[in-house]
Order: sequence, then C-alpha cells, then structure tokens
Amino acid sequence: MKNFKLYLYILLLTGLYACKPSVQTPAPSHGSADFSRYISVGNSLTAGYADGGLYLEGQQNSYPSIIAKQMASVGGGSFTQPLFADAQANGSGYLQLTGFTATGSPITASVTTNLAVTGQTAIPGFGNVITYAKYTGTDLNNYGVPGIKLLHVTLASYGNLNGFYERLLTGAEGTHNTAYLDFITAKPFTFFSNWLGNNDALGYATSGGAGDLLTDKGTFATLYSTVMTRLTASGQKGVVATIPDVTSIPYFNTVTVAAILAGVQKANPAVQALFINAKSDATAAGTTYAARPATANDLIVLTFPTAKIGTLVSTPAGMLPYGLTPYSPIENQYVLDANEVALTKDYVIAYNNTIKSVAASKNIAVNDMYTFLNNLKAHGLVVDGVSLSSAYISGGIFSLDGVHLTPRGYSVVANEFIKAINTQYGSNIPLANVANYRGVKFP
Amino acid sequence: MRKILLFLLALLPALSFAQGFQVNLEGQKQIGMGHTGTGLLQDGASVFFNPGAMAMLPQNYIQGGISPLIFKSVFNPSGSNDQFYTKNKIATPFSFYAVWGPKSNWWKFGVGVYTPFGGLTDWGNQWQGKYALESLNLKAIYIQPTLSIKLADFVSIGGGFVYNIGSVDLTRAIPVSDANGNDGQARLKGTGHGYGWNAGVFFKTESGITVGIDYRSKVNTTIKNGNAIFGVAPSLAANFPQPNTFTASIPLPSTTSLGFGFYPSKRWTLAADVNYVHWSVYKVLAFDYAQNTATLQDTYSPRNYKDAVSLRGGAQYAASDKLFLRAGGGYATTAVLDGYVTPEAPDANRYYFTGGLGYKLASRLDLDVSFEYEKLLSRTQTNIESQLSGTFKTHVYIPGVSLAYHW
Repeated sequence: MKNFKLYLYILLLTGLYACKPSVQTPAPSHGSADFSRYISVGNSLTAGYADGGLYLEGQQNSYPSIIAKQMASVGGGSFTQPLFADAQANGSGYLQLTGFTATGSPITASVTTNLAVTGQTAIPGFGNVITYAKYTGTDLNNYGVPGIKLLHVTLASYGNLNGFYERLLTGAEGTHNTAYLDFITAKPFTFFSNWLGNNDALGYATSGGAGDLLTDKGTFATLYSTVMTRLTASGQKGVVATIPDVTSIPYFNTVTVAAILAGVQKANPAVQALFINAKSDATAAGTTYAARPATANDLIVLTFPTAKIGTLVSTPAGMLPYGLTPYSPIENQYVLDANEVALTKDYVIAYNNTIKSVAASKNIAVNDMYTFLNNLKAHGLVVDGVSLSSAYISGGIFSLDGVHLTPRGYSVVANEFIKAINTQYGSNIPLANVANYRGVKFP
Repeated sequence: MRKILLFLLALLPALSFAQGFQVNLEGQKQIGMGHTGTGLLQDGASVFFNPGAMAMLPQNYIQGGISPLIFKSVFNPSGSNDQFYTKNKIATPFSFYAVWGPKSNWWKFGVGVYTPFGGLTDWGNQWQGKYALESLNLKAIYIQPTLSIKLADFVSIGGGFVYNIGSVDLTRAIPVSDANGNDGQARLKGTGHGYGWNAGVFFKTESGITVGIDYRSKVNTTIKNGNAIFGVAPSLAANFPQPNTFTASIPLPSTTSLGFGFYPSKRWTLAADVNYVHWSVYKVLAFDYAQNTATLQDTYSPRNYKDAVSLRGGAQYAASDKLFLRAGGGYATTAVLDGYVTPEAPDANRYYFTGGLGYKLASRLDLDVSFEYEKLLSRTQTNIESQLSGTFKTHVYIPGVSLAYHW
C-alpha cells in the first residue's frame, strides 16, 4: 500500500512539468504580401540615427531591422544593414548624457572615440563632405541615408554630397554618379518600406527657417510618384509612412519662450518679454523678417545656447542685451517663429496628402506617423507598464537630439509599421516586445 | 535651461490580491473532497472550516499538513507569438491544528495555524510585463485560538480569534536604463499584521444530514515601514531616495461558507460547500512612501474587486476500515473585473478537480495524501493601468500530505 502511494506521488509530480499551459496563437501568415526580400528606404530615421549621430547600437535597433526580425516567422528573409565595424562602432559620433546640473538640466557630451570618420573631402560648388568607412558587404536591405530628402533621390551626384550615402557606394568620393533611386532599385526585392520626405520639411524647421528651404509641394508630389512607381514596378507590395508634424518633436518643445523668460526674470524681474527676429508672413516666398516680442507660438530650438541671453551685443543702437530688446533679438536660426510654424505645417500636410493618395492609388499600406506622433504629444502612451511621451529625455521615445528616436521609440514605430502592414495585407507579423528595447541611457 | 523637472514614470507598485491569492488548502482530507468541510466532522481542520463543529468531534486531534503548490502561468502578448512562463517555484502552504477537550464533554479548545492567502509568482526580468511585475512572494499566516461549545446534541457553536502575520516581497523593473542599458529595479519588502475572527455553527439534523455555517472575518493587514529598495542609474538616485520605506494596507476579505454533509450509506460521505468571498472590500491599493519625490509619488490604484463565489462538492468512500478514497471538484468565479487583471495572480474563473487517499497507519494515526489540479480559464485582457495586453492562462498543481494523530 505504501509503495503504491509513493508511486502515485512520484507520478503526479513528474506529470506537473509535462502539463505547461500554452496559449493557441494564430498560424503565421504573410497574407497577400511576400516578405522574402524586404528593403527599407528612407532617411536618418530609417538608418537608425539617434542621439545626434549614426552609430552601431542605433543601427542595430533601427525600426526596419526590428520589422525584419518580426517578419522572420511569416516568411521574411535575412536583413542586412550597413553596420559600422565593431572597432568603429561609434560611427559618426553621438551625444551621451553625462549628468544633470543642480537645476535639473541635462548635460551632454559628444562621443569622439572609435569613430568611422575617414576624412573630409572638398566638393567644388558644395563644400566639405565628411566621409565614413565604406560598407563593403554585398547584401544590403536597409537603404536609410541620414540627411536625404525626397528632393535628392534622382540627383546623380548625390553620392558625392552625403557621406552616409557615399559609404554605401563603390568608387572614390567625388566620382559618384548613381542616383539614390537607381541604387535602391538595382537589386530585386519583394517588399519595401518607404519613409522619405521628413527632411524636406525638417531641414527648414530645425534651422529655424534660416538655413534650408522647404521642398516645393508640386516637386514633392512628382518625385513621390516617381519613387513609388519604381518601387512597385514589379508588383511589389510595401508600406509608406507619413511625415510627422515637426512641432510634435521635443527639439521644438523643450526650450520654451516661457522657460527662458522665467529664467531671465529670476535675475531681472523688470524684463517683460524676449525678442525674436520673426518672419513677417506665412508664405514660402516672403523674405521679410522683423523683431517682435516672442510668444508661446514661437518655438525655440533645443540647441539654442541659452547662455547668450542678456549678454551685451553690438547693435546699431549700441551695446544691448541679447534677446531682450527689439534691436538685439534672438537670431532667426534659433527660432521657428509662428509664421514659420504655420508654413511648415501647411507643407507637411500637403506632403502627407500626396503620400496618402499615391499609396492609395497603388494599394500600398500607410503608417500614419503624423497622427501617431501628434497623439503621443497630446496624450502620451502607455505600453506594457511603461509611460511614454514626447517629452525630452524623460519621455523614453526620443533620443538626446530631440528629433530621432531611442531603441524603445524605434520599436514603437516598428510596431506601427507592422500594424499597418498586417491590416493592409492580411498578414500577422507578430508585434515587437517594446519592453526589450531601452530608452535614454542615464549615467 | 533644458530643464527636466519631472521624471514621470509609471512607477505604480501594483500589488493586487485576487481569488488567486486565496489558498484553499486547509486540510488533506478536505482537499481530497473538493475542499469541502464546513458541514462535516472530519478532523482538527474544523478549526478553519467551521469552529462550530469542533465540539462535536468525537476525538482530540493534533495534525499537520503541507501542500507544495506549483503555479504555472503563461502570458501571450496581444499580436505576438511570444509565450512567457512563470518560473518553476514551489510555494508551501501548510496547516497545523490541535483540538482538545475532555472526553464526551460539552466543550473543546483548539488552535490552528494555516495559510489562507498567499502567492508565489516569478516571471523573471526578461518578460514583456517586467515593468508591471517581475516576482511576488506573498504570505499570510493566520494563528487562530478557538473555543467550541456543544449547546445540545444536535447543535454546537464555536469561534476563534485570528492573528495574521503577513509578508510581501515584490520586485519589478523600472523603465529607466543605466549607462549599460540595464533597467532600474524596485523591490518592496515588508511584514505586517492584522486581526480578525472566525465563527461558525454546526447542526446534525434529524434526517442525518449535517449542516455548517461559517464566517471568517475580514483581516485588515497593514504593512508598516516596509523596505522600498530602488536601484537606478546614479544620476537618477536623487529621484529615488534611499533608504526609503513604504506603508500599505490590504484588506484580506471575509468569507461566508455554507456546507452540507450527506451519508447515503456507511461507506459513503458526500459534501457540498458554497463560499461567498467578500472581495468587494478591495477597492484601492494605496502605497505611501516615507520619502516622496517628483518621480516617486504615493500611489493610489483602483482595484474595484467584486465579490466571488465558489461552489464545491466532494465524496469519500471507505474502501475498508483503513483505506479511504476521496474525490471532488469545484468552480470559483473571479473577483477581478475586466481591465484589472495583473500578472501577480492573473485571475480568471477557474475550476478544479481533487483526489485523495486516506490510510490509517495505526488506530490513532492517519496518513492522508491529496492532489488538486486547478485550471484557470484563459483570459485576454488589457490592464487599464499598465496597458499590458494579452492572454493569461494558468494551471496549478498541488500535491499534499498530512499526518493526524487522534485519541
């Protein structure tokens, strides 16, 4: 009797480990799409640019690489990125958070070791171009090129003007003549993602409307059609993303007029307003700028050196404190003023209408990042117990440059792409685990 | 001027009790019969099941039992093929009872030490819900001195005072990375105590059916000055002051039970129990930290539990004078509303089956073994606080053994 019970007991215990519960998940399906060779087309966001630079860890956490990883179970093939070698892992260099000041302002420093920078070449009529260690692999799936605009995709000489593109091409700097659009379509592919167009508005915005131009709406529409026609030439399916409202990113929302003014007033309560050199109308053609008091609708860029405020500068009216008088306004390149904001928004909306209508005409999935990032800014987002927002550093989504994303941010973006793909093509690419990807690194 | 004044993180120490934390393992004979016993006279476990029945027990008892419990949960995040499992950890609910009274007298005194609530869940630090919970070890040990009085040959009453020693040890990841990309860690560890009571009445009806009614009161357990240990990157240390303590109060709910015993033949005992667990007392979970910062605020999380019911039935067959075979089962409703399911004890409606064997090793010594298998129905949920979205499914395996000496 005793042995019988012992036997029963052992039987029961061994049985325990055999009967793990499991949840039935739907059978993997690629739906009507073919993910066997996926290529990603786009700019810095597609390349995995983060913290003001392109470096290995950012590349390894790029949203296309996350999408490709998730595609593996539904027929996705290998996905090769132009990774920097380990010895040059810091790529172009990037910003690192080194601490906080007593008042809670972050302190950042540039990483300058183990770079992939190979030199600087003077390109006649353009200027100096920094070059990087070439990518020598034969396979390439991630064609993200930091800095590229839609405007550049048919430009044959572009390889000479952008070091990040140059490193993907064979041949010497200064001799390139392969347009980006020809480069990305040279090898066959079955599926693509296209997130081009951000820089056509962002370049203008991040320079405070001073250092760059908005791409003409008509030109944008023509080029976008051209790109999409080429990408779908053999019936390939794909996904495109809309362009974020540039004012939804922390680059424009962290250093605010109110915060600067409050800082000034702490030392000098008599100060009533900051003065900026602002655009006089909201047209692209307008070139008139005039000083006026800043309001909450004027956006100061993240990189504005706030120490300049109040320092005496030479003006026609004599030595005056910087930013505090109409004669010594904050310079144009530090401010995206209300008219420039309105202008940029208008262009972004027009670009996005183009993107959506071209995608619709070709039955291509659309990931509406414009709406997604506006919602993130307005409401925040909670994923798997993590509170995310578009706040600088603490928000978890945006990296230290205030424009590009953290690995966690890129994983959230990858999931938005995956959802759009699954909806359009009836596939069930599994979502990425956002909790597996980090936010900003704190020292 | 690039001010980061607030680090608002989702740091909500969500500790939630649920039906899953009610441990229904208070005696091997009873477990074998589907954990019925409110209306039966089995042994010293009446201290727990129904103090009113104690005075009717024909003998005195000293007994102890243990029910190693393996809680196996799986989580499948929405839209994913991943399956995350809890680690194989064995919790050890136990029960000890002593009941004594002068032979054939009108009273009996008893004491019970048992574990009516507890949980041991370890999801590890790599799973999708790590920011909601990594691991939880929760114990409540009730100590209950009890007196029972026979009012007449057909009715007895009894009641006891309950002292609870509770402990909690919870870990979760904090979503801020250090320089190496590792998460921060939070650990809340503390002990507390609370008071309550347990009273019941027991009838022997003329038809031979026995009936028991029992009420175990709510036990408010307060954990005072528990350790709140945070490990984060040094530049954030000021946001999570150390050392720090927390205070939290958790009501362990009251349970009302009604039980019947039927005796169709000499060899057969049938039992049925209905339990009503007043989980609705659990409205909020509040955590009060001794030191607050902009990041580390006191938290106040709604729980809004609803009362739960469990139905149980069981049978015992005396195969011989020495050998008893038992079987039973039951069904319990969840206390947790949709949207409030958390990984601590991913609660759902559940059913369970039990079986047991009793063997008289000697005329005064009983050996009882039991086995229980519980299956929680799979539940697909998005938690309103953490937005953790997916399907939980849980199996629980509980072997058990006890020895009872009676005279």
